[in-house]
Amino acid sequence: MVNLNGVKPKNGRNYYIALGLEGSANKLGIGVIKQPLLDSTLTGDNSHDCHTEILANIRDTYVTPPGEGFLPRDTARHHKNWCVRLIKKALAEAKIENPSIDIDVICFTQGPGMGAPLHSVVIAARTCSLIWDVPLIGVNHCVGHIEMGREITKAVNPVVLYVSGGNTQVIAYSENRYRIFGETLDIAIGNCLDRFARTLKIPNIPFPGYNIEQMAKKAQHKDNLVLLPYTVKGMDLSMSGILAFIDGLAKDLFKKNKKNKFLFDSKTGEQLITVEDLCFALQENLFAMLVEITERAMAHVNSNQVLIVGGVGSNLRLQEMMGQMCADRANGKVHATDERFCIDNGVMIAQAGLLQYRMGDVITDLADTVVTQKFRTDEVYVSWRE
Amino acid sequence: MSKRDNNMQMEHTLTLNIPFATSKQADIACQVLRPDPILRPQDFQVKYTSKGNELVMEFQSIDDRVLRVGVSSVIDSVKTIIETFDELE
Repeated sequence: MVNLNGVKPKNGRNYYIALGLEGSANKLGIGVIKQPLLDSTLTGDNSHDCHTEILANIRDTYVTPPGEGFLPRDTARHHKNWCVRLIKKALAEAKIENPSIDIDVICFTQGPGMGAPLHSVVIAARTCSLIWDVPLIGVNHCVGHIEMGREITKAVNPVVLYVSGGNTQVIAYSENRYRIFGETLDIAIGNCLDRFARTLKIPNIPFPGYNIEQMAKKAQHKDNLVLLPYTVKGMDLSMSGILAFIDGLAKDLFKKNKKNKFLFDSKTGEQLITVEDLCFALQENLFAMLVEITERAMAHVNSNQVLIVGGVGSNLRLQEMMGQMCADRANGKVHATDERFCIDNGVMIAQAGLLQYRMGDVITDLADTVVTQKFRTDEVYVSWRE
Repeated sequence: MSKRDNNMQMEHTLTLNIPFATSKQADIACQVLRPDPILRPQDFQVKYTSKGNELVMEFQSIDDRVLRVGVSSVIDSVKTIIETFDELE
């Protein structure tokens, strides 16, 4: 039996308020959520249905010029510059006047992610915790994505596909852990897309993957797919080879290297494919690989639902392909969210952190708030599920 | 390398005293800074204490370059703490 009501809200309120701080990559997100004290969470397995109300969800992204990625140092500086201002704005938006009384818990991303940006945010989190006398909770970033996805879509026990700039994992829940069934062996899918966008020198606003998605829609030779390496390794994936290969194609295209017979007709020298076709082929190839391992994981755990989380999860083509796979399975269903919740945000950290808090997991010693670059999804004991 | 050798090499030192509005603030700053481990303890060490309403930071390092880099990163964190006090307390 899971009792989510064990720890009561502060000051006899009948609802909990959590502040979530996220800064593991180039997005700085601050969120405030409210969860009512419900009878349905007293017993049973209802952590996906907490009636979470979002009071504030603001984000500031560190955007680099076309052709450049974000470096840890510069990203950390961005987060330091904006963190306190954003917290202030989020509190105002959530109409929180006295944080010491109104906030039950402050949740921050403990890992995984880039060390320096994570550290910038935890400094603000610790200071707020001490001046307001509000407890702190460290949240695993991946678990944050999963819990937010479950709360928004109400998916009870889905296979989770977590696809972002730093992670690519197929996850399923079993015995109080989110277990990793398959993952990337080298770079993450979002990293692969971002780096290809850098090769193409397309803008990083709103984010590189979105711009690749828009270009892929304009592909003119969709029926003549550019062949790329298809690198599924059992339940795992490898993407660095695909990136190197397609980077080479793009460079030959820009240099007008007529010797490349994939790109130019060997007799007439006519250009056969465009940059848009490359974007299309890259998406189709990568997403097909994801769909394959996700389907295999579904068969393993006997599940008919998929939840897609992480920044790449906002890609509509990925959602469509996953939908086609699920439609072929009995009662199959895809759950996905939009960019507000898919892309890194503070609300998801607040959601997972508040569940931890309600189960009585709270940091008592600040030495336990040290952030870590490596923090695997299955290291977290999921006490809030049966 | 033994511990004694290390201490002998940590010749470059710097002490910073940062005044805060109250002794509680100095104490909080100290608690916020203390948990994070130093990445290369054999090259750089720092000790945080609070004395009245002052935060005292004592740095030790093997050379002036490591000292400068280490001190500047700690100062960045102190700036965030001060901004939090100013805006959110």
